[in-house]
Formats: sequence, structure tokens, C-alpha cells
Amino acid sequence: MNINGEFIAFFIFSVLAIGGAVFMINLTRVMHMALALAFTFFSIAGLYVLLDAPFLAVIQILIYTGAVSILMIFGIMLTKHKDEDKVAPFTVHKLLSLLGVGGFLAIVIWIIYRNPFFSTGEPQAAAFKVTDLGKAMFKTYMIPFEVTSILLLVALIGAIVLAKREEKK
Amino acid sequence: MQSMSDMDWGIMAPEWVIAIACALLIVVDLFLKNTASRRWIGFLSLLAVGMAGGWVITQFRHKSAMILDGAYILAPYTLIWKIILLTGAALVLLVSLGQEKKEYEPHEGEYYYLLLTAVLGGMIVVSTADLIGLYTGLELLSLSSYILVGIQKKKNRSNEAAWKYVVLGGVSSAFILYGMSFLYGLTGTTHVGEIQKQLSQVGSSYEAYVYLSFFLMMVGFGFKLASAPFHTWAPDVYQGAPTPITSFLAIVSKSVTFALVLIVYMAYAGPYGEFQEDMIILFMIMATLSMIIGNTVALRQTNVKRMMAYSSIAHAGYVLVAVATGNQILIPIVFFYLFVYLFMTIGVFAVIALVAEQEKSEDLKAFAGLYHRSPLLALSMSVFLLSLAGIPVTAGFFGKFYIIMGALELNHIWLIAVMIVTTIISYYYYFAVIRQMYFRRPASSDPVRVSWPMKVAIGISLIATMGIGIMPQFVLETLQSLLR
Repeated sequence: MNINGEFIAFFIFSVLAIGGAVFMINLTRVMHMALALAFTFFSIAGLYVLLDAPFLAVIQILIYTGAVSILMIFGIMLTKHKDEDKVAPFTVHKLLSLLGVGGFLAIVIWIIYRNPFFSTGEPQAAAFKVTDLGKAMFKTYMIPFEVTSILLLVALIGAIVLAKREEKK
Repeated sequence: MQSMSDMDWGIMAPEWVIAIACALLIVVDLFLKNTASRRWIGFLSLLAVGMAGGWVITQFRHKSAMILDGAYILAPYTLIWKIILLTGAALVLLVSLGQEKKEYEPHEGEYYYLLLTAVLGGMIVVSTADLIGLYTGLELLSLSSYILVGIQKKKNRSNEAAWKYVVLGGVSSAFILYGMSFLYGLTGTTHVGEIQKQLSQVGSSYEAYVYLSFFLMMVGFGFKLASAPFHTWAPDVYQGAPTPITSFLAIVSKSVTFALVLIVYMAYAGPYGEFQEDMIILFMIMATLSMIIGNTVALRQTNVKRMMAYSSIAHAGYVLVAVATGNQILIPIVFFYLFVYLFMTIGVFAVIALVAEQEKSEDLKAFAGLYHRSPLLALSMSVFLLSLAGIPVTAGFFGKFYIIMGALELNHIWLIAVMIVTTIISYYYYFAVIRQMYFRRPASSDPVRVSWPMKVAIGISLIATMGIGIMPQFVLETLQSLLR
């Protein structure tokens, strides 16, 4: 394996992404969790750059690292919550879940390593233009795009219905 | 490529009707005074569903068409799916309007238009052959259902149900999406027809991916169908949700997932003989487990809604038997069964809603002596229960009979044996309700008050259940001729 800049960058970003996810699960304070998650989002943007998808990387930073993280932090600040989360004890149930998930991971990795995708041929990402993305989104996938807008509306209504405090009559 | 304005957007009219009605009702609800009754929003929703349904019926004369290369399809089978969904939604709306005390009091307006968006999601799913369209439609349906399940904010059970449903629903969506992503990775397209062509060309070295993607998607679908071994959420959610929503989950959500299973099935219909057999074995295992677990655990339930949840798990198993045979000829039988299941389930849940509302209990004992209080109600409930049990010469019996005949042609003898044995087991718990209604003394002798929308809903279900029971061959032949 030749060690070049790309490999080092990939290594750093993937360690950050996985580390952020692990910390997110293991930390006990909500605010720390949000920050750990922001780290994961950011490192995934780095991975997109390495995969020759700079547009996706910018979007990832704008929406996930920026908007979603800030929104979560606002949500935490504006609601009453128990700041500290107790660490749950390790039970047999957890051990079984761990074994199940570990087994699934092993199977997926085994399948992927046995027959890697795109082992031959040059990647053609360079031919990509943002206009293509726009065409795909507003032409080929126009109906799902519109459905998504209704989906967001439903999510908004649902959030209001479930979170609104009733006035006393 | 055609330009946008050249396309025949008119064929999407039923979806337009629902979407526009939804938007209008949201705005109207906004300008309405807080104290004003939201009841007529429900009637307007019913009107919208009726209009969409009428439009769908006129479209049977339209020749098959599609927009954007399969992003939206108009074909006889999509229309039949839509009729199932819209009939289900209309009856659920009627039952909701017929409840005297709303279980979701301050949010009645939201309740109605969230039902509309849920149906819209379902209609998108059944009329597309593109993985992205399927997924967004499914999510629209699921998200609306999550909110509807949790709309009784003050009841702990409802909150618990909504929470379970969101978490497990989210996990199952993730499984479906992960499975779809492998399909896209293998073939480079999201169109189901294209995927089928490409899959038959990928070398056998990639076979493991095909298995992996199918397995992942089936786990997700298993959750959404509430078929064993992924059924554990269903009893809690069915019990905690408002009763009309429980019937909505049992009918509309389940039918949409069956449509999804059949569409995804097409994507895999090409590649390898061996894979086909394994796929069928997976379906058979799910069908068998659902029938056995659903029917046996239901025996021990005393809460009627919980019992119906296990019954609906078992019914998912019966339909999976038809799917498992993997035969295109059985599609009309799947439709037939879903139609029958729709009417009898709505009927049962309407009666449960009435009795539970007046007795303030969902226990089996609330049905004690119903025959002496309201004989007509008890009689119609008996018809629905007998049909669900599949006693000979009811609609439910013919549904099961056709499935068994279909399975017999393909020699799945042990599957048929399981189906017959579990059906007989199921008689016990359906008859437990009937026993309560006829042979136990009522706690009070007042008749159960039945509001007129409830009467209409129960009446339609009763006529349809009995009608299909009297002339099943006619209904099946109509379905077959429509699909031809």
C-alpha cells in the first residue's frame, strides 16, 4: 500500500467520522453529543471531497454541519431537559444486540471485500456537472421531489401537533 | 426527452385532488376560530377522497400510460390498488366522524388532513416503478401515521405507541434504503424495470449482493407488514393508537406494503433460478411464522384491539402465502383478499370503537351481552368475525380458499397444512367475542348509540362482506378481467 496525501486525508477523516459517532453514543451530556455529531457530519464532507464530489461536500457542510447541528443546539437550549444521561448497565440483552450487530457487520464486510464494486476502469466523476444534478432533480425525479415537499410539511405539522403546549381552558 | 408541459399530467388527477384538498384544508383550518367545530373538515376530506375515487374509476377506460419513464404509471393494477386505498381511507374517515367523543380532541383538523397525506403517500407508492418514488411515498405514509398514532397526547399508552412506532419504523426504513442502495450500486439505475434487465447481466460473482439487498429489504418490509418475526411492535401500537387509526394501519399501511413487496419482487424477477427459489423460501418462512405466532398468541389476549393486532399479523401471513407462491396469476387473488380484509376489518373496528367508547373499556368483557342491547350491531359484528375466521360461505372463506387453491397448484402442501390448522385455531378467539355477545349477561341494558356516519360505515362494510361472500366468483372474475 503506497502512502500518499489522499490516503492520509482519508485516514484522518474516517477516524474523525467513526470517532464522532462513537463519542456521540457514549457521551452523557446532550450538548457534547450534538458537538460529536457535528464532527461526524464534517468528516463525512471531507470524505465527499476525496471522492471527487465537491458539490455534495459543500451541501453537506451547509446543511448538516451548519444548519442541522445549530438547530439541534437551539433545540437543546430552548427545551427543558435532563442534562445528564445515566450510563445504562451492561446487560445480557445488550450483549446479544452487540453480537447480532457485529455478526451483521461481519457479513456485510465479507460480501463487500469478496467482490468489490468498480474494481476495474477509471472513475468518471470528473464528467459530472451541477446542471446534471438539477436536471435529475427537477425532471427525472420531479414527482418524488414534490412528494418530499409535502413530507416536510407533514413533519412540520406533526412537530407542532406533538410539541405544542395546550392552553388551559 | 419530452418537455415538462407536453406530458400528460392529467393522469395524475386523483393525486392532485388529494394534494390540493390537503393544502386547502390546512389553510382553512388556520383561519378558523379556535372554538369552531372541525367536524366539517372531516366531511370535506371525505368528499376529496370520494372525488379521487370517482376519478380513478373513470381512468379504467384510459389506456395504460406513464409519465417520465415510469416515475408515474397508470395501469389497471395501479388503479385497483388506489381503489383499495381510497375505499379504506373513506371508511376510516366515516368511522372517525362517527365517534361521539373524539380521542384526539384539540387536533381534529390535523387528524383529517394527515389522513389525506398518508393516503397520498400510499397512492404514490402504488403508482411508481422507481425506487426513489417508492421510498418517498412510503415515508410520507409512515410519517403521517406516526403522528396519527401519537395524536392523543394525554394518554400514556398513545405516547408509548407513537414512540415505538417512530423508532422501529425509522429502523425499518433504514433497512429498506440500505437494501435499495445495493441494488442501485449493482445496476446504476433506480428504475425497477431497468434494474431487472441489468441484474440478469451482472455476473454471478455479484450474487451475494443480490441476496444481501433482497434480505435487507425484506427485513424492512417485514417490519412494515407486521409479519413475524418482525411483528413485536404491532400489538402495542395497535392498542395505543386511536381506534380508526388502528384500522387504517391494518388496512391501508399493510396494503401499501404489499404493493411495495410486489413491485420490488419484479426487480428480482429476472436473474437466477436458484435465487428465485431462495426468495420464495424466505417468503414462506415469514408467512408460516406469521400465521403460527399471530393465531396462537391471539388466544391469550383479553384486550380486543390487541387481539385484532395479532389477528392482523396472521392475515398478513395468509396474504404472504399468495405472494410466496411467486406466481403472477395469483395477483388477482391478493387483490381479492385485500378487498375482503378491508371491509371486514373496518367493520370490526367500527364496532370496537362504538363499544369501547360507551363502556370505557377495550376489554373482551365490554362486549358482554351486546346481542341483548343492540341485536343489529351484534349480528353485523358476528358476520365480520365469522368472515375474519374464514367460516365456509363467507367472504373471508373464499379469500382463503382461493389462496389455498393457488398454493395447491404449486404443490406447497405443508404451507397449506399450516394455513388450515392455524385457521382452525383462530376460530377459538374469534368465537370468544361472539360468545361474550350472545351468552353473557350485559352490565347495562341500554342500547349502544350509533351515530349515522358509523351506521353508513358499518352498513357498507356489511353489504360488501356479505356481497363478496355471495358472489365471490363474480368479484374475482371482474378483477381478472380488469387486470388483463
